[in-house]
Amino acid sequence: MASTLDEIKQAVLHFDRKSVEELTLRAIDENIEPLEIFDALKEVIGKVGEDFSKGILFLPHLVGAADAVEGGMPIVMAEIEKRGKKVESLGTVVIGTVYGDIHSIGKTMVATLLSAEGFTVHDIGINVPAADFVKAVEDDKAHIVAMSALLTTTAPEQNRVIGLLKNKSLRDTVKVMVGGGAITKEFADSIGADGYSGTAPGAVKLAKKLLGM
Amino acid sequence: MPLKGFTRNIPPLHVLTDEQIDAIHRATLDVLENTGIRFENDKALHIFKKNGCIVNFDDKRVRFPSYLVEEMLRMCPSSFTMRSRNKKHSVRIGGNTLYFSDMPGEGILDLKTWEVRKATREENREALTVLDALENFHILCSYTPYFEIEGVIPAMSIPESVAAKMRYSTKVQWTGYQNGCEIYNIEMAKATDQDIMGLGLPSAPLTYYSDACESTIRYAEADFPINFASGCMMGGTSPATIAGTLVSFDAEVIGGIVLAQLVKPGAKVVVEDTILPMDMRTGSPVFGSITAALHIAAFGQVWRRNQIPTFADSGWTNSKKIDYQDGYEKSITSLVIALSGCNVANFFGGVYGELAFHPLQAILDDDVAGMIGKFIEGLTVNDETIAADLIGEIGPIPGHFLITEHTRKYFDKEGFFPRAADQLPYEEWREKGRKDALELAQERMAEILRTHRCEPLPEDQDREIEQILNTARKVYENK
Repeated sequence: MASTLDEIKQAVLHFDRKSVEELTLRAIDENIEPLEIFDALKEVIGKVGEDFSKGILFLPHLVGAADAVEGGMPIVMAEIEKRGKKVESLGTVVIGTVYGDIHSIGKTMVATLLSAEGFTVHDIGINVPAADFVKAVEDDKAHIVAMSALLTTTAPEQNRVIGLLKNKSLRDTVKVMVGGGAITKEFADSIGADGYSGTAPGAVKLAKKLLGM
Repeated sequence: MPLKGFTRNIPPLHVLTDEQIDAIHRATLDVLENTGIRFENDKALHIFKKNGCIVNFDDKRVRFPSYLVEEMLRMCPSSFTMRSRNKKHSVRIGGNTLYFSDMPGEGILDLKTWEVRKATREENREALTVLDALENFHILCSYTPYFEIEGVIPAMSIPESVAAKMRYSTKVQWTGYQNGCEIYNIEMAKATDQDIMGLGLPSAPLTYYSDACESTIRYAEADFPINFASGCMMGGTSPATIAGTLVSFDAEVIGGIVLAQLVKPGAKVVVEDTILPMDMRTGSPVFGSITAALHIAAFGQVWRRNQIPTFADSGWTNSKKIDYQDGYEKSITSLVIALSGCNVANFFGGVYGELAFHPLQAILDDDVAGMIGKFIEGLTVNDETIAADLIGEIGPIPGHFLITEHTRKYFDKEGFFPRAADQLPYEEWREKGRKDALELAQERMAEILRTHRCEPLPEDQDREIEQILNTARKVYENK
């Protein structure tokens, strides 16, 4: 008979959020170490991410699997915290679409892939004012702030966030990466961002590179 | 008389049965009535509320009674004239007429490296001069030809683009909006005594941003036509199926059409098919796909029933170069647009997505537009064209038709002669420098720039345009 952890992995691969949630609760009832449950979820989403980058799986699979993992993750994290333990993470990323822009898909894709890779991702949504980006960087002690802009008129908002980070003396504590339809490498260089990517998989490589991995 | 464009004399494509069209329309009404559309603009919400829609001011959702939707669709004119500043370039959009517009690019394509860079003001003027000169090109698109022009801040790019189009072409134009800049675009059109078409873009799924509502209201109040186009990405911001995307797209654009009709009964509107499938490997849109072409064919059929004029996009391709892929992706979609009975194809000049434009591409596209236009104009069948008597007269070999009056009369009416395609016999091609279409297009561009002079704006109108621009520049200098 398959172990509960195997069942959790299978449920993720079937994009079944509800089952992942139920199985995670069952695993905790069965006294399985929460860090092991966490590792199982990470392992399966990591595998999905890998298959996506190889072209075996596609975005709907990736987003579906990430959603299924989200069914179990808050339960596991609460349990880990309750037991006074910590999880390993490649780093903390604050991500959002800049103020004046409501496009969300590109940003969500990057967030999903970063999470699949092992980053702790705090998605602060769309239409985010510069001050909220900076507050999230401060509160989360983020290693990376990632900003998306799809409209040419809102691209300069990314510059505003960088300016505010400098004013608050946070610029040296965090790497800034930008992307989105309105952004080019030249623009990213001109505002002093640390990196630019035009695609979601590229953004993951960039994040790792920026943190020296 | 308005510019003729091309007249479709052949029956349009039918990819849907009447029952399928009905099913799509019923589902659209259902989405509008039960799910509704979010309008992030209080003025628009109040207009809907006052006219019998169910409005939730908390989540800004508007639900539309079906009787109101159908009444508003009936109020849209089935065709309308757009007056140009030089009346010979006016157009009447609708019915079985096909016009060609362009697909703008963020920058100009560098033909040596195939990279994209910002265009200079002079390059912008040159591209507009080419578009003004091309005979199969009729309507200037928004942001034409470049989204970004050297020395122009992003917030001013639309008003500067509108002014440049007015100065360097006498063809009519449609244009975008951002930060309320439609105020200045409308003023410039009035100052030059011509019509301008505005945009009202829903953001899929089922949302109108405040700027889109403001633009719709302002253009309707000014009695200028409005283009509603939803940039659905199939599988991302609309269902992955063509039928589902027809429904969500239609619900989105109809929401804006109802707003326009409530502001100005009888408002002139068009809908534009801009849908693209999502590439599920990268999340990027796929341009020039056959899926989008099939959507266009169905879209054309649905909106012919609504008797509302249509635009559709064929000017973008996945190729980063002016090459074989770019040619077939653009041409197949353009031909489908024409066969589907759409009224305007946004085709000329665009290369990769909306990233690049090049006037040489527009010159190549001019030939394709001419071929497509020639095709949909169909053939004439009467005693003279059937030529049965003549066939009898000429008889078997050694008879031939080259010598006949009939051939002299009809060969050029029945044929099409591209301007930048290589059609030379092999030996002559070798003797004349072995040129390909791109080189021939370069020669045609040089010729146009040497000889074509656009009729200038009258001095007083030019001054007024500059004053309007100066006001806008002050408003936007810090944005």
